[in-house]
Amino acid sequence: MHIWLGFAILALFLWGITGVTQKLSTNRISSERSFLWFCVAMAALSGVVLVVARPHWGIGPVVVLCSVAGGVLNGLGAWTSFRALESGGKASIVISLISLYPLLTVILAVLLLGERLTWVQTAGALLAIAAAILLSLEAPPKVKG
Amino acid sequence: MHVQSRSWRLPLWLFWSLATIVLWGTWGLVSKIASAGVDAYANQLLYTAGILPLLAFAAWTVWKRRGVAGERREGRRIGLFWAFLTGILGGVGNLAFFQALVKGGSASVVAPVTALFPVVTVLLALIFLKERLGGVQWLGLALAFVAIYLLSV
Repeated sequence: MHIWLGFAILALFLWGITGVTQKLSTNRISSERSFLWFCVAMAALSGVVLVVARPHWGIGPVVVLCSVAGGVLNGLGAWTSFRALESGGKASIVISLISLYPLLTVILAVLLLGERLTWVQTAGALLAIAAAILLSLEAPPKVKG
Repeated sequence: MHVQSRSWRLPLWLFWSLATIVLWGTWGLVSKIASAGVDAYANQLLYTAGILPLLAFAAWTVWKRRGVAGERREGRRIGLFWAFLTGILGGVGNLAFFQALVKGGSASVVAPVTALFPVVTVLLALIFLKERLGGVQWLGLALAFVAIYLLSV
């Protein structure tokens, strides 16, 4: 197995667990307070990374801009997804629609970064997006706690 | 509520959904560009810098709505614990996502693979919460495993 795939599956696994912990949180506190503490934890983790991992600096302005933009885009995306649900969209439709976001990444990466997919990878990417939509079509798991 | 123009009306929920697709879809692209020049740890720090304005906004929103929302006090500590754990897991997940890009994974493959995270949520709910899956979700699970196999070839 490629090492990058191992890391991708690790991310998938950890983000998958957050689907349950997030629900356990919002069962008890508001989504705003939950998001606030999510951000606080993210900042705390970065504090640990700063002390323990000794990141390598000496990076160019474009890279800095892209990394910071990553935080802005992902954080704003979480906020707009909440807004979509609060604005009257049915959860099954909103979440299924949002699951299409990797399709945009694929299109942008092919067009702007010149990435090339084999036919097998193209089929895999389309299946992955279809799978994410199907998994979102029914109501999210109801957590007892 | 609708976002209006002269000739058509876009439901607000659809507008926010499309905005989410654009924001998260572009996030994958900028992360890949960044992965060429920064390690996962430095990226996590810079990423967090990008989140700080949102943290301030969320804090302001919570402060403004204090005492208004229907939160019960008794469950708050547990709720905060789960929210904090969500942030830690999400952050470590970000590190892994970025490391996948640094280690040579292309954005057009890593993004669809990591977007399959509902597989884990659904399986956890099935195993630990004894929930039942519908036929559509079983089909989604099966497709997800086939997709991961195809993307790994």
